[in-house]
Amino acid sequence: MSNSYVIVGDGIAGASAAETLREEAPDAEITVLTDEGESLYNRILIKEYAKGKLPEAPISIHQEEWYDDHDVDLRLNTVVVDIDVENDAIHTHEGETFEYDSLLLAIGGTPQQLPVENADADGIHHFWTFQDARRIKESVEDAEKAVIVGAGLLGIDFAAICGAQDVEAKYLMRGDNWWRYALSEEGAELMHEAMRKRGVEPVFDSGVDRFEVDDDGHVEAAVDPSGDRYECDFAGVAIGLNFNTELVENTPLEVEDGLVVDEYMRTNVDNVFAAGDITTFNDLVLGEQAKNGSWGSAKEQGTVAARNMLEYESEAFEWVSSYSITHFDFPFLSFGHPTLGDDSVEATTAEGEWRRVALKNGKVVGGVLIGDLSPQSAFKQLMREGRDVSGQTELLMEPGFSVDDLAATTQQ
Amino acid sequence: MSLRETGRRLRLRRTGWIPPDARVRHYDELGEEAQILVRELAGRPRTAPETGDLDDGDFVKFTDYYQVRTR
Ligand SMILES: Cc1cc2nc3c(=O)[nH]c(=O)nc-3n(C[C@H](O)[C@H](O)[C@H](O)COP(=O)(O)OP(=O)(O)OC[C@H]3O[C@@H](n4cnc5c(N)ncnc54)[C@H](O)[C@@H]3O)c2cc1C
Repeated sequence: MSNSYVIVGDGIAGASAAETLREEAPDAEITVLTDEGESLYNRILIKEYAKGKLPEAPISIHQEEWYDDHDVDLRLNTVVVDIDVENDAIHTHEGETFEYDSLLLAIGGTPQQLPVENADADGIHHFWTFQDARRIKESVEDAEKAVIVGAGLLGIDFAAICGAQDVEAKYLMRGDNWWRYALSEEGAELMHEAMRKRGVEPVFDSGVDRFEVDDDGHVEAAVDPSGDRYECDFAGVAIGLNFNTELVENTPLEVEDGLVVDEYMRTNVDNVFAAGDITTFNDLVLGEQAKNGSWGSAKEQGTVAARNMLEYESEAFEWVSSYSITHFDFPFLSFGHPTLGDDSVEATTAEGEWRRVALKNGKVVGGVLIGDLSPQSAFKQLMREGRDVSGQTELLMEPGFSVDDLAATTQQ
Repeated sequence: MSLRETGRRLRLRRTGWIPPDARVRHYDELGEEAQILVRELAGRPRTAPETGDLDDGDFVKFTDYYQVRTR
């Protein structure tokens, strides 16, 4: 059995793998390398720091002593630049070589820049790391007007940050509603209204054609494709991630919008595994390859990868992912793959409560809940069980829906 | 995570201030049982049996910040 484990990435996927390896293989040699300057922190709480709602300290999860206490060799500020799968070794930018028996790539993604003029000007922010959050907080505290681009789950964090810091913002979106791939106008309107209440104005059928900068190179406006100009001294751009696959370009590792792994998190090279946002994995729930981009899923993939690094095929990843938005006085939750499917049902179930369920071949593949999250567990259960709900989809829209309602109907 | 059989009950108290030494959890970090509990207790004067995911004194970020209290 292998006993030298190298993990690239100390986000939640890499760190949970390190924890699992240490628990289940007390004598293993474990090395964790990260290009960040700090060890594992809570990436899903850094928005709260930028909003000014949380101090820095509670965001840290593993202090450096954790690695000493658990006999894990942590290397901060270490960029892995090359993987030599023939010789089981990785090379760092700093010129070091680490040999492994088994390697885990938990390297996530990097926010995309808009492909427009001045996209990297001062005052234009992308959001992934704690360092980004510190810069965003500082910049937004001095700002009066902001522009936000990217009508998805990360864009709305910028909207909430501007709202919390009393910055008047224009949220430029393509199409006529926020996250149009998962929500209809009716559901999205609840989100728009919550943004407006916080001084963030959604602007539809818009986007950014270019940014304008002042003499110091600081952003001063965004101009949309129809020529409308929006003054700003802060811009938040969240249009998607580039997965960090550059690292494996010259290797035989299979890449398809991420690193391809099986349900055991193993790549096409026997002793190389991957976990977290970086993976394109065999989704046993969906029955096809998929990607997840959520904390819970990345953590679980890290744990599952570690178990399979210790003993291949010991545990499969079978998980329904979810991602909530907790910025407003009502909750929002997306689960599974709400942008997939060949059919959907949606309904307003009460004032301020809306839900949509995406279906494929009569089975639930994902959805969105606004206001009332109570059916979350039932919908996830339907997904895990692969239940065919054809002909009964209206039941899913009942306010107090439970899986038993469906079973009763099925048996009729 | 399974319910602890301590006989203790848990409630969530809304709070606006988070001390620097607090343990703060986001809703998305919690297991399914703890999530159900947070949904049911947040903003309501109710209690429920303790769950393994949430300890006395923990803070939870849901639609507000809530502090876990067990008795
Ligand atoms: C602002 C923000 C808010 C979010 N909110 C939520 C939320 O509310 N709920 C939710 O479920 N999810 C949320 N997410 C998504 C969630 O945080 C991610 O899905 C999860 O953290 C992914 O974990 P990971 O370990 O796979 O990747 P990451 O956390 O990205 O970790 C990858 C690590 O690898 C390092 N790395 C990459 N390449 C190299 C290299 N060559 N050498 C060395 N190190 C390298 C990176 O620097 C990084 O530290 C949010 C994300 C962000 C940015």
